[in-house]
Amino acid sequence: MRYLVLLPEVLVVGLAVIVMVGGRLGWFRGAARAYLPHAAAVVVLIALGVELWAGATVSAHLGGALVQDRFSLFTKAAALLTAAVVLATTDWTAEDSLHLGLAMPPVAAFGVMVAASAGDMLGLWAGLEVAAAAAVVLVAVHRPDLGLRLLVAGGVASTLLLIGLAFVYATTGNSDLTAIRDVLTNRTPTIAMAVPVLLMLAGLAIRVGLAPFHVASLPVGFGATPLGASLVVGMAAVAAATVAIKLVSALLPIPDVYAPYAQVLAALAMVGGGAAALAVRSPRPRLAYLAVGQVGWVAAGLATHFRSGIGASLFLLGAFAIAATCGPALLGRAEGGEPAIAGLGALRPVRSAGLALAVLSLAGAPPLAGFFGELAVAAALAQSGNFVLLGLGLLGSVLSIAAAVGTLRVLYIQSPLEEARRGAAAALPAVTALSSVGAAAFCVVVAGYVLLGYPIMSLADQGAEALGLR
Amino acid sequence: MTLMTMIVQATPNPAPVPGAGIFTSPFLLSLLIWIPVVIATAIAFMPNPRGRYDTLIKQIAFFTNLGMMAVLFIAYNQFENFLPTMQYEEKISWLPGIGVTYHLGIDGPGLLMLMLSGLIGIAAVLASLGVRERVRAYFSLLLLAQASVNGAIVARDMFVLVVFWGASVVPLALLIAGWGGPRRNAAAWRLIGYWGLGTAVLAVGVLALYAAAGAQSFDMDVLLKAQLSPRIQIVISLVMIVAAATRLPLFPFHGWIRDVLAEASPGVTIVVAGAASRLGAFLILRTVIAAEPAAGHLLSPLLAALAAMTVGYAGLAALRSIDVRHAASYLAMVPGGITILGLAAVSPLGIAGSVLSLFTGGLAAALIAGVCATLAERAQSRSVLVLSGLAPRMPNLAWLLTIAALALLGVPILSSYTAEVMTFFGAFKNQPIGAFAVAAGLAVSAVALAILLRRVLFGAPNPDAPGVSDSSLGETWYLGLLAGALLWVGLFPGGPKIPGTDVPLFDPGLLNQMGAGISDMSSPYTAPAPPAAQ
Repeated sequence: MRYLVLLPEVLVVGLAVIVMVGGRLGWFRGAARAYLPHAAAVVVLIALGVELWAGATVSAHLGGALVQDRFSLFTKAAALLTAAVVLATTDWTAEDSLHLGLAMPPVAAFGVMVAASAGDMLGLWAGLEVAAAAAVVLVAVHRPDLGLRLLVAGGVASTLLLIGLAFVYATTGNSDLTAIRDVLTNRTPTIAMAVPVLLMLAGLAIRVGLAPFHVASLPVGFGATPLGASLVVGMAAVAAATVAIKLVSALLPIPDVYAPYAQVLAALAMVGGGAAALAVRSPRPRLAYLAVGQVGWVAAGLATHFRSGIGASLFLLGAFAIAATCGPALLGRAEGGEPAIAGLGALRPVRSAGLALAVLSLAGAPPLAGFFGELAVAAALAQSGNFVLLGLGLLGSVLSIAAAVGTLRVLYIQSPLEEARRGAAAALPAVTALSSVGAAAFCVVVAGYVLLGYPIMSLADQGAEALGLR
Repeated sequence: MTLMTMIVQATPNPAPVPGAGIFTSPFLLSLLIWIPVVIATAIAFMPNPRGRYDTLIKQIAFFTNLGMMAVLFIAYNQFENFLPTMQYEEKISWLPGIGVTYHLGIDGPGLLMLMLSGLIGIAAVLASLGVRERVRAYFSLLLLAQASVNGAIVARDMFVLVVFWGASVVPLALLIAGWGGPRRNAAAWRLIGYWGLGTAVLAVGVLALYAAAGAQSFDMDVLLKAQLSPRIQIVISLVMIVAAATRLPLFPFHGWIRDVLAEASPGVTIVVAGAASRLGAFLILRTVIAAEPAAGHLLSPLLAALAAMTVGYAGLAALRSIDVRHAASYLAMVPGGITILGLAAVSPLGIAGSVLSLFTGGLAAALIAGVCATLAERAQSRSVLVLSGLAPRMPNLAWLLTIAALALLGVPILSSYTAEVMTFFGAFKNQPIGAFAVAAGLAVSAVALAILLRRVLFGAPNPDAPGVSDSSLGETWYLGLLAGALLWVGLFPGGPKIPGTDVPLFDPGLLNQMGAGISDMSSPYTAPAPPAAQ
């Protein structure tokens, strides 16, 4: 019973291994192959159910290396829900490899889960790398050149992070996050501490795709398959944000060493993401830049360095995870730019509704999940008196909403392309029962995030409390 | 005589309405928000192959609005006008972590705004019966826009207010971009720019209030009653005024109005001009005049100046405009300026006039913008150089345009007269310069209207003008509804009574009902005396 809490991890890893091995050995043929996405989504949903049932019990495993608390419960539940929905919404005709496509979202979710429940720096790093590796695999299947680019960018990010972690370890003599916080409680911030923290944050910023580091990884998402883009823009960024939240909680006694960096990164991402989203017209880059803007809000919450701010960041991270990961999957190929999705509202109503909600949520448009998360962060910023960052964030949100309206206009108001002019680049997403259910489920989840804001925000707040925040 | 009595009394102590408070519902206000949302969602996903069910969709939208109006009429009829507290309150904890509650409620001004929104909703659907393209999306967005406006009116939590305030931007912008005139995209972007920034500014104001109050709650009952220093009150009030000015609009934040009202379809035009934009004045009433007395008093000259500049600019711009829809757009700014003048008076009479002018001004602005939009469509031209001598050829529209002009100017019999008289009587005492300047601006607007009417309706017919036709049945109905409401409240501001008694018939009287809750905000403010010098 004690180890039941690890069952979700076992289920997702087992699913990924079976699908990959089975795909390689040709186990799945005919009807079995057709129903594989259904089965994968169901297995991940079962893992989510187990997580919600068994994960409420606070426990520690592997000598404290894995900790099950409210923070990990919230983050793991968000990752599993995201993985299940993205498996259901993906247009599998647009993917190059069914078995890799089915395996990588659970692997990425596993990475997030490891990072979320990590008790030490090693676990954080490992979780982040697993999630990022899943994205690299999917990108490389479709475009090896972009996969290599992502690998190199990830390598740089990993190096920066490891150097920073090593410095922190050298300074505190501990890799355990709780012990680090205890050691730092009586320390004063120094330049020697600030430099490695800067390196760590830079590494994480590359992973998340925060401006100005988005140039390293974001263009990769533009050229990947829909699911590859989902992992780059969404799940990998969620893993990095999870690591950032846990690291920040460990460094909380000396906020001066990270808060200024976080504020600058947040400001650049919020305004830059919104402006870039407005400037581009192609739907996938626009989605990616909207995601950058929203991650900026997550970073702004971290910069407040107190419980309500980080709780708000965590709440927003849940909304971000689902919208940023499922958005590209709902969008489908759409390589033909704006015309590819023109009039999609009439041709694919459920998928379009999902896409519209994803875009609006990422932009922070009321009354969707992203808006509530952003306003919760804004409230924390106001409480901390950081009105400059708040003003910049709101400016970024206005730009983002303007960009989102542009996409909605294309979806619902422009006339669709004539079939004769619709090439492979603008091919419509295939309609299957699963994809329709997935898109509808996405809409329900986004709506539910608002309607069930009370328990979700309570859980996020408890998650922040579990990190030792008061 | 009855009218004069009502004006002089200015709503201070309305008698309880017999039969009020019998029916109540714990979720009456939620119905007004969520019914249109549910119906909009259902319409959006309703199968409609090749427009087969276009008529059905229009009927659904119409009967939804009619049903909401019925609910609203119950709320209006059962409203207890002697209670100073909020009524039909709903309060559910939503995000306790940051102190957000799903808190709704209305007082007199809120009820008045809801009535306005309900009437505008029905008129907007009637005005949109001619929509032929993407009917599903159009009516779905229209209902969403109405729901968000209703939500902003009834919100009693600042967080919820920001949600609904901002939520109206997206559907309205899409309605303009999708079904507007030739410059619709520019108009939609302007709306997004101004209203989006207004929303951001409002959010800053709300968060500043939240931080200053240190109350861990966004509830208006907490935030708007927090004891703040005059300096903080002024800063927050200034932010709120800017947010409101982008919405109403007030000069110099009016950059969106010409293009939006001139390019949007008639149905959307009246929603924007009639209900959505009135939220600006409603915000100032709620968050500045009623909540920050020191700031309200100190900033009243600024409000009066904004009102004067708005009315003056609107009149002058309309005077030099040669596009009938542009002229109407500018003239639709006039009622907003008058509303703000009444608020600037910070006196019982002025505020009561302002509250009434929220309703009458909304109707008048919607009527002038709507009638000019319909006229331009029916006459196939917007240029006053082309349109001439139309009165004999489109008698319905000629009458309605004349009524709209009279309503804007506030002539007797129409309800705008009552509102304007109360506003000016209130303002001449406390803001004489502002009131005089607004009156001068109104005179300029009168000249502009006179020139417009003379040219377009009564000039010599232009033989080169394209063919014209009078308004259709639907168009006559929607414009007639707006004009009828202006007339009804003008004739019976206190509601019709059973002859020989004070017992109201079916209508308890808008002037009576709106008084609930404004006695506190309209109590004379006395500035704190400075500390005596030692």
